[in-house]
Order: sequence, then C-alpha cells, then structure tokens
Amino acid sequence: MTETIATCTIGVDVGGTFTDLVLHDAARATTRTGKLLTTPQDPSRAIIDGIRRLLDEAGVPIERVAAIVHGTTLITNTVLERTGAKVGLITTEGFRDILEMGRETRHDTDDLYARPAPVIVPRHLRIGVPERICADGTELVPLDESAVLKAAHELVEEHGVEAFAISFLHSYADPSHERFAYELIRFAYPNMPISLSSDVAPEIGEYERTNTACVNAYVQPVVSAYLDRLEERLHGLGFAGTLTLMLSSGGLTTLEHAKAFPVKLLESGPAAGAIAAAHLAELAGEDQVIAFDMGGTTAKMSVVERGLPHIKHEFEAGRLDRFKPGSGLPLKLAVVDMIEIGAGGGSIASRDEFGLLKVGPRSAGSEPGPVAYGRGGTSPTVTDADLLTGHLDPDNFLGGELTLGLPKVREAFERLAESLGLDAERTASGALEIVTENMAAATRVHLSEKGRDPRAYALMAFGGAGPVHAYTLAKSLKMSRLIVPMGAGVLSAYGFLVADPAVEDVRGYATPLGDADWAKVGELYREMESHATSLLSGAASAGTEIARSRSVDMRYLGQGFEITVPMPGGRLSAASAGRLSEELRHRFTREYAAVFGRALPEGTPEVTNWRLTSTVPKAVPSLTDASHEQGGDSDDNDRGAWRGKRSVLISGFGIREADVYDRRALAPGSSLRGPAVFEEHETSCAIGPDAVAFVDAHRNLVIDIDYATRIDQGVNS
Amino acid sequence: MAVADQTPDAVDLEVRWSRVAAITDEAATTLLRAAFSTIIRESNDYTVVLMDPAGRTVAESRAGIPAFAALIGTLTARLLEVHPAETWHEGDVVITNDPWIATGHLPDIAMISPVFYGGALVAFAGSAAHVPDIGGTATLGATDLMAEGLFIPPIHLYRDGARNEGVVALLRANVRLPVQVWGDLEAQMAAHEVCRRRAVELLDDICEPDFGPLSNALHAMSDRSTRTAIAAIPDGVYRSSLDADGVEGRPTHIECAITVEGEHIEIDYAGSSPQVGFATNCTLNYTTAYSVYPLKLLLDPGSRTNHGSYRSITVKAPEGSILNPVFPAPVLARHLTGHLLSCAIYRALADVLPDRVLADSGGAPAMRVQFAGRDKSGAPFAAILFASAGMGACAGHDGRSTTAFPTNSGSGSIEALESTAPLLFRRKEFRTDSGGAGTRRGGLGQDIEIVNPGDTPLRVALLGDRSSHPALGIVGGLPGAPAHAEYDDGTVPALKSLSTLEPGSAITISFAGGGGYGPPSGRDRTAIAEDLRAGLITGAAAIRDYGTEAVTAARCSTENEDPEGRD
Repeated sequence: MTETIATCTIGVDVGGTFTDLVLHDAARATTRTGKLLTTPQDPSRAIIDGIRRLLDEAGVPIERVAAIVHGTTLITNTVLERTGAKVGLITTEGFRDILEMGRETRHDTDDLYARPAPVIVPRHLRIGVPERICADGTELVPLDESAVLKAAHELVEEHGVEAFAISFLHSYADPSHERFAYELIRFAYPNMPISLSSDVAPEIGEYERTNTACVNAYVQPVVSAYLDRLEERLHGLGFAGTLTLMLSSGGLTTLEHAKAFPVKLLESGPAAGAIAAAHLAELAGEDQVIAFDMGGTTAKMSVVERGLPHIKHEFEAGRLDRFKPGSGLPLKLAVVDMIEIGAGGGSIASRDEFGLLKVGPRSAGSEPGPVAYGRGGTSPTVTDADLLTGHLDPDNFLGGELTLGLPKVREAFERLAESLGLDAERTASGALEIVTENMAAATRVHLSEKGRDPRAYALMAFGGAGPVHAYTLAKSLKMSRLIVPMGAGVLSAYGFLVADPAVEDVRGYATPLGDADWAKVGELYREMESHATSLLSGAASAGTEIARSRSVDMRYLGQGFEITVPMPGGRLSAASAGRLSEELRHRFTREYAAVFGRALPEGTPEVTNWRLTSTVPKAVPSLTDASHEQGGDSDDNDRGAWRGKRSVLISGFGIREADVYDRRALAPGSSLRGPAVFEEHETSCAIGPDAVAFVDAHRNLVIDIDYATRIDQGVNS
Repeated sequence: MAVADQTPDAVDLEVRWSRVAAITDEAATTLLRAAFSTIIRESNDYTVVLMDPAGRTVAESRAGIPAFAALIGTLTARLLEVHPAETWHEGDVVITNDPWIATGHLPDIAMISPVFYGGALVAFAGSAAHVPDIGGTATLGATDLMAEGLFIPPIHLYRDGARNEGVVALLRANVRLPVQVWGDLEAQMAAHEVCRRRAVELLDDICEPDFGPLSNALHAMSDRSTRTAIAAIPDGVYRSSLDADGVEGRPTHIECAITVEGEHIEIDYAGSSPQVGFATNCTLNYTTAYSVYPLKLLLDPGSRTNHGSYRSITVKAPEGSILNPVFPAPVLARHLTGHLLSCAIYRALADVLPDRVLADSGGAPAMRVQFAGRDKSGAPFAAILFASAGMGACAGHDGRSTTAFPTNSGSGSIEALESTAPLLFRRKEFRTDSGGAGTRRGGLGQDIEIVNPGDTPLRVALLGDRSSHPALGIVGGLPGAPAHAEYDDGTVPALKSLSTLEPGSAITISFAGGGGYGPPSGRDRTAIAEDLRAGLITGAAAIRDYGTEAVTAARCSTENEDPEGRD
C-alpha cells in the first residue's frame, strides 16, 4: 500500500465522437472535466491519454485515484455495425427459427418494403438438439449429449464460430439442460465463450431471451479483449484502484461481470445522464422530474421519481432506423426507460413535399456540423436557428473557443426561406417552434403511456442543446418549473461519479398470484441474493450494507403485457405467504389503476418474473458544491455576472432585449426575472418575462414560469 | 408565434399539422392503455380520429391500419344526415356497430362525440375498437347477422352528459364479458376526452375560433399529394381476377377493374362472387378500407393521412356481391375475403407499376386456429394461435418469411402460451420450399406441430383459406406452397372446420408461402446458393424451379467463398 490516501474518482464516457472524462477529488472538493476525440480503433488509447492529461492538469498522481468508472458505446456500435463475433446457436430441436421469425410483424405499416434487422446468427449456424423442458419446469425429453457435441463440433470445425449461445425452451423454469450443455461444450472447447439464455435473461419469452443470449455472445469476444487491454494499460499507468463499469440500468458492476455479460452494458452512456439527473433532482428536493438531454443529434427524455429513473426491462438494440421502434433486435435487459427522438442541435431544417418546413430527424452531426461551425455545413440546423434568434452568442460559443459564422447562417436560412415563401428570421424561429413541438409531442405520448401528466413534473435540462430549448419545451408541455443544473453541457459524465454498484437479477416463474409456491419464491430470492452478494462483495467490504429491493412483473391472466410492482420486504416463507400475497394483490391493483385508469375486479393477477435489485449505496461526492476548476471564480454578488443586453427571440413574446448573465458568476440565492439569458461554457438558457430564475444552494438555476402572466402584454411585433 | 389575423404560413401549418396528428396519437395511446386490450392489441383493429364538423377526418391515429380511420369519417357523415349538426349537444356520445356503416363486423364498436369550443360545434372525435365479446354464436356457423351477436344501431350512450342507463343495461345483458366490454367502451371515451381537451387547447393556442381554415388547408395538401401520385400512373383500365377457397361449394371469385383517369382512381369489383350464407361476406366499408390501404402503400406511403388523402379514390362493388352484401348477411369473418383485395389490386397494377407491386402473400387472408377444451384442473380454456404465413416478393426483395400482411397481428410467445393453455409445441420452423420461386423468392410459411398433452380431447377450430388456392407469383414468379393441416394419423381437416385433437395426438399446421416475383430464370446464383445453404429450399426443388445448370453454378460459387449474413 502506498502512503497516499486515494480520494479521487474518474468517470470516463466513451461516446461515438468524444471521450468525456471527469475527475473528482473528494479531499479537495474539486472536479475537473476533459474532452478528447474518441479513438475508434482502440478506444483505450483516448482513455489513457485523457486520464494522463487530466491528472497532469490537476496535479494529482495516479496513486490518489481510488476508482475509475467507465461507460462505453463500444457494444452498441458492435451491434449496429455488425462487427461482432461469428456465433453458433444451439437450441431446442424444432425451434431453431424462433430467432429469425421474431414477432412476425412489420415495424412500419406504411412501408411495403421495410426489412427486419438482420438476424445475429444466420440459419446455417443455428442447430436444434433433442431436449425439452415443460412450462412447469419438468423434463419431457432428456438432453441428447451426443447431439450437443456433434452440433458444437460442426459449428466450430466446419463453420469456425468464435462464440456459442445456448437457448432452450423454458430454460428460465429449469436451466439444467443449458448448464449441462455448457459443461459438455466447455470440456470440448475450453477457450470458447459460451452464453446461456438462462444466465443472461432468465425470463419467459423465447424469442427475446434467445436474442439476448446471442447478442451477448456476439459482443463478448470484442468486449473482453477491449477490457483486458484497458485494464493492462491502466496498470501500466500505475493505477491500482478498482475499475468498474456502468450498466444500462445505471448501476455499477465489476470487470468480471461486465466481461461475462457485456450485453448489459449496451446503454451505459445514456444511463449515466439519467443517473446524474436523478441525483441532482434529489438534491434539489424535486420528487418528480422529466430529465431532458438534448445533444447534437437526438433528444432523450426519461422520467425520474423520488430520485430514481424509471427502469424498463426490454430494450431494442441495433435499430436499422434509429427512430423507428421495431426496426432493431428486442432484448430482455434492464435499462433506464428513455425515449429518443431525432431532435438535436445538428437536426437539419428543410422543405418537405407539401412545401412545409420540417426539422430532423436528419442531422448534420458533428461533421460537417451546423453552418455556424464553418466546417463545410450548408444545411441550416437547429443550432444555426439558435444563433440567428439570439439564443447563442456568436462570439462566446464554447466560452469563445469557436466563433460562429453569422453571415453564412443567415444566407443558409435565406435560401431555405425563399423556397418556403418566408423570410430568414421567420424560418429560423419556425425551425425552433417545430423542433420543440416534435419533442413535446413525443414527451406527451411517453407520459401518456405511463398514465402520467407532464404538468406534475419539473423539467431538468442538460446536454449541449437542452438548456437552450428547455424554456420553450416546458411551456409547450405547460410545465411550471424548469431546472438547469450547473455544468449542464457535460452533466452525463457526472453520472459515473454518483452511481452505486448494483446487480439487477430476475427469475422467470409464471404463476397466478393465488397459486404461488412461496417456498419456491423464497428459494429463487435466496439464490439471487447470494449471487448478488458474491458480485458485490468487493464493493460492500467497506462496511456498507447491501440494499435490496424486490419487485415483480404482474398482469391479469391472459394479458400480453406486464407492469412492474414493488414487492414488500421481509422473510419469504410459507408462513408469510398470505400477507405477502394480499399485499402484492393490493399493490398491483393500485398500480394497474394508476397506469390504466382502473383495475379489473374479476381478473386473476398473475406474476411472471421475480426481480431483485441489490445496490451498495456509497457516500456520494457533493459535486455541485465543488468548484469547477475550469470555470472562473464565483463572485459574491451578481454584478460581475451581468454581461450586458442582447436581442433574443422568446417564444410567445417576440424579440426582447434580454439581460445576459455569466451563469458561473451568479451567487446562490440570486433571483432574476426574465427576459434573460444565462450563459455557461457549453450551453445557454433564455427565459421570458413570465419566468423567474432562482440560483439554489447547489447552484442550479430553478426557473418558475408563471402562466398567469398575460402573453399579449409582452407582444413586441 | 403567429398573430391571429394572419394566414398560416409554412411554419404554422407544419406546427399545427404536427399538433393535430399528435392529438390522435396520444388519444390512441390512451385507448390502448385504458382498454382491457389483449384483443385490441392483438387484432390491431382500432383507430382514433379527429374530424371537422362535417365528419371529414383532420387527423388519424397511426395505429391500426390507416384506411380504417377513414371509415369513421364516412360513418360520421352518414350520422349527420340523420342527426344534423345543430342536434348535437355537449356531452353526447353515440355508438354503433352496424357493419354497413361502421367497420364491418359486430365486435367493432364505433364511437362518435362532439367537441364544442366557445359554445359552437368545432369538431368530432371518433374511434373504433374490437371488444372481447358481442354475444351471438362463438363459432362461425351463423347464417345471418342476428346470430353473430348484438346489433347496435347508432344510439346515444350519453346525451347531454347523462348516461343512457337503458342502453348500458341492454348491452351488458347481451355480452359474455360485460365488465370488460364496458371497460373498453370507457377506454374509448377516455381517448375521446384526450381528443376534446387537446383540440380545445390547440384552438386556444392558435387563437382560432374553429378548425375550418386549418382543416381545409390540410385536406388540400393531402388531396394534392394523392392526386400527384395518381397522375404519375398512365391512364387506363387495369384488371385482375383471383380465386380463393371460399366456403364449401362456393369458392370466392374476385374481379377487379382499376380505372386510372388523370388524378382519379376507381376500383370496381363488378363480376365478383355473390354474397354467401357464411361469415365471409365483406361489407363495402371493409372492402373500401382494405382496397385503399394497399393502394396507399404504392402511391404515397408515409405521408400523414386525412380525409383529403382519399378524395380521389373511389371503390365500388355490386350490391349483393360478397364485397357488398345486403343486410342481414353474416360478416363476422370478413377478413377472409377483405384481405384478398391487396392481391387483386397488386395483380391488376403489375403491368403498369411492376417495380412497386407485391406478389400474393400467404397471409392474405390470415389463418387463425383456436384450441378449446378443459385444462388439467377441469376448467374450460380457449386459446388462439397467432402465426404468420410468408409475404409475397417484390422487385427489390425476396418476400419476408413468416410476416403478417396485410394485417400486422404477428405471433405470441410459445412459452407464454404453454404456460396458460394445455398445449405442447413440438415444432415451429420455417417451411422448407414453401416460398414461391422467382427472380425474387416468396417468403416462407411455417410448420407448427402441436400435441395435446392432457387427458381430454381438445376442439380445434381452423379458420383460413389458401388450401387449394396458393399465393400466386407475379411478373412471372411462381406460387408459394398452399396452406395445409394434418393430424398425425393422416387425417386432413378442411381449413374452415371444427375437429378434435385426441390426448397424445398431434396436429401439424402448415402456413402458406408467399408468391415469387419475376421469372425463376432471373434469380441470382448466389441467392440460390444461400437459400440452399440455409436450407430454405431443397436441392430437388432448386433443380425443379431454377434448373440443373443454375444450381450447379450456385453450388460452385459457394465452394470458394463464405458469404456471411443475408440481404
């Protein structure tokens, strides 16, 4: 052990374009962020360079880093670009086409020629073997060992597969055949990665479970190699702390677990943003928040209640069309429940076949990017519209690092305006109206699906473009509170610092609630608990307890969809069965009525999946109190914050002279009425005369919109 | 933001169009969420629309099949003939399931309610949804409409906000699942409330007294869009005819004449079979919906639809024919006839739009199989097997295997079905050689083998077609394999029949393949090679359809390389 006390944590988010890093030093209560281009050939290169640079700048030796938390898009990209391993699937005889048949629907009923996402394992690499488990877990046909070995031999020797997936019918009810097949193959091919559907996703639903096992096998060799290399390089750097990975559900997991179940890391990047938002919502004392993350290409919304983002247990990977549900591969996976639409700073404004203005989903991305960047982009984008309407300052974008080209932007809008019979200003303001409406509509439907009303929520805006469009979005959704956290432009990276080590586990056991075998349920939970304990033992050794929460997927018998209901704690035994069963029935009825409007008195409640979330709550760094070392020093009053006035187009009020403030110079406790613009390094936020911004103790901007303020009082045109 | 007295510009129209479209999408989400809904979800037969005071749809939910929505508009227009606009009050709700004016069979209940703004009638909300039961005989033995269930002529469910208790009592007394049926009607009303609230909010926001100008502008744009697409098709009369199994002794014959004249299309089914004393009759409304949908897919897919989208399309069928039967013909299984129309339309247009049409799909019409009996505990059960046949091929692609078309009902999970019903699946696999050969191969159907694992016999109700009339190829493509069912003792039940599955016995149900596109001689050798390697076709069938030379060449081409992935 070194003498140095390790007090630093580093979060690393490897995205498609940028690798974001954040260093938190608990001893000095400081955070520092860094950003560099991702190195797609070997993402660990940018990570090592970034860490080295960050440590140099902060003057922190690597020995003081206790933990590195990592999230990556490597897995998503491997699925999307189909660059994974050659996988062989061994499945129940007679059912090898389940993987390719899927749900037998067309995801786009307007497109006669729409194709499904290509299957992960082509037919000649899928082999059925004699075996059969029934729905109740009993064995009907024993596993044919020689058929398994013959299939494995054929797949390896004739077809050269690099990984195996094994998925048998009803393996969630009894995994013994899958385990037996695993042992047989491992004996024959000791170095071959093998994914079992009963390990990866032990839930009812053969198509999604098999798909999940296949995708896991598909990405495993790539991810293992990458993580090994990363670990080695970090050691080379002198790092002796723990490397943990973020799961799609927002929890943290060990390197070993990540290598065994890489599919669970698919959505680690987006999850971090939601986790950060959830953490800040809790600090700000907001129980109900819609996290709104708008970047260059997309906008993402997720619902956060009581400090926790909503989790869903199904996710679609590798969509052919990013914004078309059904065009990808459905997986059984715990992920932060998030909608994503094609609305970002780079979304392109264009004229459609009806002669109307359209925005997105096509995006100029970061290359060539918006016209304003002067990197060759010629199509006007949302960011360009922000510039033309005064939301962005041409001379102070990214803290002045990039000077935006206003004349070129105007020209681009003039060209588009002419084809629409409008002028450039109207086209730009129109593009903002339309992109806002697109986001509002998607949010309304997402909340409507959950039986929730946006007006009961506060909007928390982050991402480079989030705060810029948040005021208008909040108003279209009739939301009265808007929160813009400090450092909103790079908020996602903070998620890595505040997340807890966690294990999401599930067992499929379908039974009418009244007939549940509670001794069996107790057994399932004991199994999951000991599994979680072993995975979390490292994280929990510091004396913290493992927090466990149980939930179940329930529906009325005969229905095809489930809702997740929290389960009461306490001992699971035959003795407590009556109480548990009654309480679950009550909770299910209540939640069903909340989501669907009313319960069904004569329906029979059924449980399909039993879930356990185990976390190790850790002492969370108080990021918002920490000074941002890249920022200037904060002033004791707001005089230093005022930068002057600027004309800004404010939705509903026309063009107004707004006070411009340097966000970082605003002292907690300040209260400022709109029209105003709050600028920070990566983003800005404009509000109208009907809104008041308050700087809270955590330096969040808490903006309250007063709907009683009459709009006509402010019209300026 | 626009000022009230200005004409809406290209931005206002886009924002307003998005907003009205979002209204019906949100309302449809509400309907789906609030409904008991397994049947609504699985059958995909539901729609929500927002209409102007003349019953012209302004926005239609994207769920369900697009052309279904238009029927709610024509229904409202007909209601307005009997109940003029000034007789509607705030708080009124009218329902009907009249197959001739609503969506074609009794389980679909249509609902209309008015939207008032500033004391004036400014819009109608409308919807239709498939309820889980409507009384009548559960089997398909009905020979007239009355035997198919409760008939509801247009009637006030609510008048001035007060519930018509007599109607509710009558309805509940005549269906098997009264709580669920009433629950689904409540879900429709919840969707209507979303429409009403959002429509009023929109008028508030845009400072307009009504939807008049917006509705006219949107109709004009959609109308123009359809007309432009039609104008691109050379004028002429394009014909096709097709045959299907129909019912015992009464095969179904469809004659289709499509007249393209300038910017207008007329589809006329004169010469089609007369109506039958069996549930396969298809009212003109349903005929229209399932004609307009496949046509829209060729013309201008993807554009938002409203009343204007259909103005230049006319659908006709002689009264008394199977496509326009006279009351009280039985109509419960209307899809067995209506789904065929997509094939008739594509065949007719094959000469003039060869690059766009699709060969016949095995799932047009869809085949359903119901199993009923008693489970281990002696309790009665019934389960429907949803599964898909192969789609037809088109110029650009092979047909999709095991994919629903023109419906989108898909299939459920075997594990879920085995958990709730005493059935044991022994096989569910692509049906080798079932896709019609062609330059592009038809999609494969599937074989499903099911065992009765219990001690008591199960009743098997088959409801399908394409037993002696396979999905035909197009532009020189060959037909797919016909549908078929067979017990393990060799008995072959008809595809519209009731039979018995004895304990321990098995039945294999083979879903039809889709038709091929273009002559088989034009098929790419590597495509043949990949089909052979994947086992989608056998060597014997390949030699029969594509010739020895092509197959030999195909086999050679794979020896040197290892083509991964497909498509």
